[in-house]
Amino acid sequence: MKIFKFFISKIFLRKAILGISMILLLCMANYITFIAARSILSTFQGYQETKCINQEGNYIANLDPDSDIDIDAIGEDGTQVVYDYLNKNFNYAFYTDGFMASIPNINDMEISLSYMNEEYYKLNQFELSQGTDLDFDYQFDKEIPVLLGKGLSKTYPVGSTIKIEESVLDRPLTLKVQGILKQNAYHSNYYAPNSKTYYNFSILVPANEKFIHHANIDLQWNGLMDVTILETTKEKIADLSDVIEDNLGAKFNFFSQKENYDYFNEYYVHSLKIIAVITLALLVIITCLAIWNVLVSVRLMLKDFTINLLVGLSYSKLRKIFYSYFGILSFINLMVIFAFTASNRYGCWLRKDATFVTYGLFSLIGMDWLALLVVAFSDVVIGIIIVENMLREIKKVPISLGVLQ
Amino acid sequence: MKRSLFRLTDVLELCIAYIFCFFLNVLFDYVKTLDLDSYILKTFLKDFIDYQPLVVLLFTFIVIVFHYQMLHRKNTEIFCRILVGDTVFNITIRYTLDCITILIFTYFLSVLANVYLNFNLTSNIYLVLIFIAYILISARQVRKHENF
Repeated sequence: MKIFKFFISKIFLRKAILGISMILLLCMANYITFIAARSILSTFQGYQETKCINQEGNYIANLDPDSDIDIDAIGEDGTQVVYDYLNKNFNYAFYTDGFMASIPNINDMEISLSYMNEEYYKLNQFELSQGTDLDFDYQFDKEIPVLLGKGLSKTYPVGSTIKIEESVLDRPLTLKVQGILKQNAYHSNYYAPNSKTYYNFSILVPANEKFIHHANIDLQWNGLMDVTILETTKEKIADLSDVIEDNLGAKFNFFSQKENYDYFNEYYVHSLKIIAVITLALLVIITCLAIWNVLVSVRLMLKDFTINLLVGLSYSKLRKIFYSYFGILSFINLMVIFAFTASNRYGCWLRKDATFVTYGLFSLIGMDWLALLVVAFSDVVIGIIIVENMLREIKKVPISLGVLQ
Repeated sequence: MKRSLFRLTDVLELCIAYIFCFFLNVLFDYVKTLDLDSYILKTFLKDFIDYQPLVVLLFTFIVIVFHYQMLHRKNTEIFCRILVGDTVFNITIRYTLDCITILIFTYFLSVLANVYLNFNLTSNIYLVLIFIAYILISARQVRKHENF
């Protein structure tokens, strides 16, 4: 420990610029690794979530990007015909979210309402921390059972009621809290699985046939966007597509499990491969710069190292000192990345960004910790490369020659 | 070059350091112009593009390291030159001019890249100013090595 302190205070800190540049290079390497690891983990999480819906015989709707639609021209009659056709001929999973409501709560967040039908709820298996599952057999003119995110659980515990003046039914609603979702429950976008909205300040509202029937055009139209038709055939889907086009004037594509997987493999896997290649290339460049930096350090500190070797310091001890020094630099960088992530997460609380607010130690979620673990692993690999290069360079120079420098 | 502190390897090292910083900036500008379909890629790259000036600025630290190690390594040479009649002033001027020549050359290369990619020619100017500041600061350090 004494010799380590001596090396830090009398050798490394005397040429602090080299240490600072190493910290900055490591910081870059860590940031790149962290962002890449989090992107890949988030995409994988989204993909796992989509797997619940994307099963054999299921078709997921998607508005054709070339379809010209006139939203104003679409009337409730048109959407109702489509829903009547859906109810009569199919089982379908209905989900739509992003309906904001001003509901008083202790964190003063704007609350997002998500609507789903029973099939969607069953497929997604929401995990609850309190209360019981949603009941879809209710009368909407009485109390509607709902699930809340963790952030609302203190203001509205299980059994309490929430009154909403403006709703998708264009009338006041009374919601009864049936259960509380586990913290950081999320929903990923089907077509951007790395993009997530968190349910911590959301209300999940069960939408049965009658509810959808009485809902306004916004809910009906948005619900159709991502509707998933369950256990059906290509022929029946073609008929549905025609019904939608005839009544709404919009062309909807319905993609089967195979088509979705093909799309995933072509689009997401390709993107993830590009991310991996970019990350690897940047890490190689940064590692090369870091090696150059340590070679410069060895050049400038050679005399100090060799004098210590001359007076009895062994190479194995020197290796330990280098690893400890590098460990400290890596730890500083991990703390920087941790602080950066925590400030980003905390920023969502400050901005009252209800759909991105998360719970956890310093608001960090599992995905962040895993990405930090990947960063720590990459630091170990980079550390081994750098320290061994340093030692090899020192060993190249005979001790007597080094002292004379 | 004969009386310069720079050797060929030093010139190459400094050239690479400047080129790296300039082309990193050009690369960021290029990525900004890409019309990507992939949302995943877009969000991944956005995490870097949002911090472009900071990332480029942090990487300019390799130029500081170059100047720092260069002057430390040339400690004996500076002292010997003064012994044989050279002056600190002349050494400093030659060092500054050499650095600026290399900077102009690499900046010219980055301008060519900007012209080829149809980018704004002034996008790298701020880096030139930063590097000139580094050169002037390091030039002031030459006199520190007057005594062996």
